[in-house]
Amino acid sequence: MKKALVFFLLVAMTFTVFAGGQREAAPAAQPTREINVLLWDDPYPRALEAMLPEFEAATGIRVNIEMLQPPQVLTRTAIAVTDTATDYDVVGVDEGNVPVFASMLLPFDQWPEGQVYPRTDVTSVTEKMLDIGTWEGVQLGVPINGNLYVWMTRKDLIENADYNRRFRAEYGYDLKVPDTLQELLEMGTFFHENDIAYGFGPFHGGPAGVLCEAVYMWHSFGTSFIDVVDGTYKVVLDEDKAVEGMEFYKKLMAISPPGAETMAHVERQAAFAADPKGVFSMFIWPAQIPAYENPDTSLVSGKIAYSAPPAGPVGHGAVTGAWAIMIPKASRNQEAAAEFVYWWSSHEVAERLVQANTIPARTEVLTNPAFVAEKPHLPALADAMAVAISRPRFAEIGEVQDVIKLRWTEGVTGNRDPREAVRLIVRETNEILQRAGY
Amino acid sequence: MKSFRGPATSRTEGAGFFKGAGGFGSPVPFLIPALLIVFAVLIFPILFAFFVSLFEWPLSAGAGPRTFIGLGNYVTLSRDPGFWNSLWLQLGFIFIAIPIEMVLGFLAALLLNREFRGGNLVRALLLLPVFFLPVVSGMTWRFMLQPRYGALNNLLVALGAPPTTWLAQARTAYAAVIAQDVWRMWPFVFMLMYAGLAGIPDELIEAAEIDGASYRQRVFSVIIPVLYPTILTTLLLRIIDALRIFSEVYVMTEGGPGMSTTLFSLYTHRIAFGHMRMGLSSAMAIFLLILSILFAVTLVRKNLSLDELEQRGGGR
Repeated sequence: MKKALVFFLLVAMTFTVFAGGQREAAPAAQPTREINVLLWDDPYPRALEAMLPEFEAATGIRVNIEMLQPPQVLTRTAIAVTDTATDYDVVGVDEGNVPVFASMLLPFDQWPEGQVYPRTDVTSVTEKMLDIGTWEGVQLGVPINGNLYVWMTRKDLIENADYNRRFRAEYGYDLKVPDTLQELLEMGTFFHENDIAYGFGPFHGGPAGVLCEAVYMWHSFGTSFIDVVDGTYKVVLDEDKAVEGMEFYKKLMAISPPGAETMAHVERQAAFAADPKGVFSMFIWPAQIPAYENPDTSLVSGKIAYSAPPAGPVGHGAVTGAWAIMIPKASRNQEAAAEFVYWWSSHEVAERLVQANTIPARTEVLTNPAFVAEKPHLPALADAMAVAISRPRFAEIGEVQDVIKLRWTEGVTGNRDPREAVRLIVRETNEILQRAGY
Repeated sequence: MKSFRGPATSRTEGAGFFKGAGGFGSPVPFLIPALLIVFAVLIFPILFAFFVSLFEWPLSAGAGPRTFIGLGNYVTLSRDPGFWNSLWLQLGFIFIAIPIEMVLGFLAALLLNREFRGGNLVRALLLLPVFFLPVVSGMTWRFMLQPRYGALNNLLVALGAPPTTWLAQARTAYAAVIAQDVWRMWPFVFMLMYAGLAGIPDELIEAAEIDGASYRQRVFSVIIPVLYPTILTTLLLRIIDALRIFSEVYVMTEGGPGMSTTLFSLYTHRIAFGHMRMGLSSAMAIFLLILSILFAVTLVRKNLSLDELEQRGGGR
């Protein structure tokens, strides 16, 4: 009898704890003047961190910033933020994950007014970035950085008279920043075949990174991957165009450094900026530009030309990979959290962040002639923003990314026929969408 | 007045253990804090994981709605090719890496189980890899195997071999993951084996020598049987540890290329935080627990019978 009673109590405790999560949020306790902030780790938040003392002095709010690598930000947010309790008062959410956490985030129109800094005027956010903080028509947070594909090309290579003469003799035009994927392939092949530099730096940094590359190529060859059709998500991939894009990328892989199949950011940076042979041309997230332009660590500092990504047969496209700053519904310090975001997204802070070589999502700062004259990547960023494209966004995107990572990699590395790889992508993505009820 | 009797030593005494439960002089009140702690840190998480595994719980819903689906997650797993892929990779990892570690560790212990100048230093240096953090070990191997500037490729190129993209091909990436584990963990096996060997009485070996046993006979007929409990304990510890391997593989390959190094724990993590399916990942965690228990029970019941070990150990 006692054993049965003990067992019953254990089960009851388990159930109580589990079911406890479904209760309504407890009333907010007395607000404190200390907030916990979870951000991704790159030069942008680090530049912000250096400015924190002035915010703390102006508001009396102490800010504890925790910076993690992007995949760990996702994991940490998933564990530490719910609709009833949160370890963080402010979280950075990668645009692809906004739908995942949307139900736990406080809509922007419910954010408290600032006592020291005025509410962020969302119309000041770069237009193409504004959608990133929005889900199902509700503005959830403030898009904070202008991260999207920008192209880097080795200026010293294309300005080399000898290389140019030899290239012109073979291809009939001058070396230049590639405006099309075909030019990229031709110039990259020239440098690769003549053992001058690797032609291209692919990106295989995790499932989200591979999806970016696939979306870029497919868009460039004239097809979307997933669209909202009749109010629901459908795979709309045109098989022939998707295969063309994959085949082309396979050619780019052939002129890439060894190990291209697994190149993440760290390997790409090493290949482009630390390897004496280097890479001719590849995309970069603008947030990482400071590392490539740091003369202490980069062999190519001051030798990089920036542009919008090269166009495919259909046109240009620049995949966005920005972050939005959100306040969890369960935060007990919403007033202080909002104050912090208002300060961060202000014009004054944005100006200083640009000077630190980072990219805030504010148009008037990015187009300021004074900054444009000093920062050669800013005009390229403006060009890229004009052709920005987004990855599909919905709660089950993580599963779809896994499919893409596996099949795209198989297709572009020659381990599977590209057509078969595309068919598998379509079939397996459809299965995920159907199971999710779309 | 009752006096404290110490732990129960027989079934009869054990049966009476609860008779005076709650009364003064009974050990139960004294045990309750410890039992509560054991329950909180050991039993409750397992119960909770099993409970969660019975629900469809998308993490994107936070602490929101969950749907009870009974054993539905276990059925889903049985039909998931990714699950089976990760299971086979995991078992392959265990059955390849651990035997290599056991053999290397045992041979090194045999070799170094003698006094020689600098012996302590050599033994201490051999243990270094085991103190590496798994994450650091994974990163080190990742860079060492980098095809362009990695140390291994530079060595191979210097010897005239072509550079190899170790982590970019399914088979070599899997082999690299195994090699990393062998490199890091064989000293652990060595450490336990060496301790076991040091405990074997010299008289036993000398008696075998006097009886005319060759070195091979002494190893296989004397040393290994006596060392049997140590070998099995080491094996069990390594299997349990290998079943949980995660961080070093995560930083080395992230489970790639494709799914070729997505071991069980990596797939569980992916399901939990990539697919945000907590119920399904909990079902995988429970499966891993059962697998660990199966390994442990099989080894313990079949090979770690105390009576049998006493006999094998010569009644030591």
